[in-house]
Amino acid sequence: MPNVIKSPRSLDIDITSRCNLRCKYCYHFSGPGDVDTDLPKEEWLRFFVECGHYGIMGLSLAGGEPFFRKDLPELLEGIIANRMRFSLLSNGTLIDDAWAKYIKETRRCNYIQVSLDGSRAEVHDQLRGKGQFDKAVAGLQHLQRHGVPVTVRVTLNKLNYHDLENIARFLLEELGLPAFSTNAASYMGLCKLNDQEIGLDVAERSALMAVFADLVKRYPGRFSANAGPQADLRMWSEMERARLGGLAPAHPTGALTACGCVFDRMAVRADGIMTPCTMLSHMEMGRINHDDLREVWQNHPLMQSMRARNEISLKLFDFCSSCNYINYCTGNCPGVAYELTGEVDHPSPDACFKRFLGAGGVLPEIN
Amino acid sequence: MTSDTNNKPMANPLIVLREEFDDWAILFDPDTGDASAINPVSVFIYKHLDGKHTVPDIVAKLRKECEDVPENAEAEVQEFIQQLLDKGYAGYEKQF
Ligand code: SF4
Repeated sequence: MPNVIKSPRSLDIDITSRCNLRCKYCYHFSGPGDVDTDLPKEEWLRFFVECGHYGIMGLSLAGGEPFFRKDLPELLEGIIANRMRFSLLSNGTLIDDAWAKYIKETRRCNYIQVSLDGSRAEVHDQLRGKGQFDKAVAGLQHLQRHGVPVTVRVTLNKLNYHDLENIARFLLEELGLPAFSTNAASYMGLCKLNDQEIGLDVAERSALMAVFADLVKRYPGRFSANAGPQADLRMWSEMERARLGGLAPAHPTGALTACGCVFDRMAVRADGIMTPCTMLSHMEMGRINHDDLREVWQNHPLMQSMRARNEISLKLFDFCSSCNYINYCTGNCPGVAYELTGEVDHPSPDACFKRFLGAGGVLPEIN
Repeated sequence: MTSDTNNKPMANPLIVLREEFDDWAILFDPDTGDASAINPVSVFIYKHLDGKHTVPDIVAKLRKECEDVPENAEAEVQEFIQQLLDKGYAGYEKQF
């Protein structure tokens, strides 16, 4: 197993479970950490002292909606006072000019990620509620005007996949963003309840990959993705190229090697419970201000088991053992694997190339 | 070094010394987000930038704690500290 650093470099914190919206695919509102009341500010401030003490460099605050917390400025002051930087993941709708100015003046913001799911209100609002597109775009433009680093995350799903080209044009040309990222609605939280309406089928995923193959030529270097069709396209093309050319893979494969997060970062739920990742919120490892952060990071058995995952060969799984891609596959996200199979130590069926092809999926032609 | 300073450098308290593994560390400036890796000897030096040690003091401690310290260690330590001074990661306390 690779060396483990003494403390995580960053933490993903759900600073609240509350939100002004109820987006159809939100991965919250059905999990173990989704509580109605926020942890008091004092608890977080005390925890930030510990984070600073252990040299954590950045906190990523999500939710729920971080701007829903009235005491957010005091929380950010706590992060700043303890020599850290922060990022905020937001729906953008509560960000006004004063917020943008304040964030800029902190000088500690890595970025604010605003979620935008369509190139126009009709598309975005059917997922997030009437009037939300205009508010999110206004929030984003306040941030741009004040020079706050801003990124946009587009979550692709059945209701917006047809709009991807327009979204790219809107974000990159009209709003002038340098880049944006995409993922797909995953089978978690509210998305589980709305899966029929929201989840992408194989034909839609194939269509999206074809669009991405074209868009990355038109806007080189201006997209990123860790999950969803764009990530699948990149990963599966690499796997196909490696298989056809008999090439050695560029990174460790043939085992459950996908998740590198647990060597770098950790998560805290809105109720203060530490977990390996926001996508694995059922794996409870202790509570902030009760359990020592560094001790949990270094020695908690669940953290260690997550790190040992990359020693689990894909040959151990019946479905994988006869797969042509087994030597090039990483098994993908353990969070999605858990949601779909009930097991963390399992390849994710959602990002399985063999399954995709078997269901009639088509990978765009690769070079 | 100017006349209004002593000769005992101090680490900038706003910079984070983040220990990673195998005694390596990262110097992190939260205002800029810059992070640079430093080796175990540099970590040792950095930890002695407390306003109580001169460069010769630090080199003497280094010779005591570490094997194979080169002849020109003092120049190298001075150079490392100068880099820190240039970046604002260290300074000298003003003498009043
Ligand atoms: S069956 Fe799917 S998960 Fe298993 S090795 Fe093949 S592509 Fe990977």
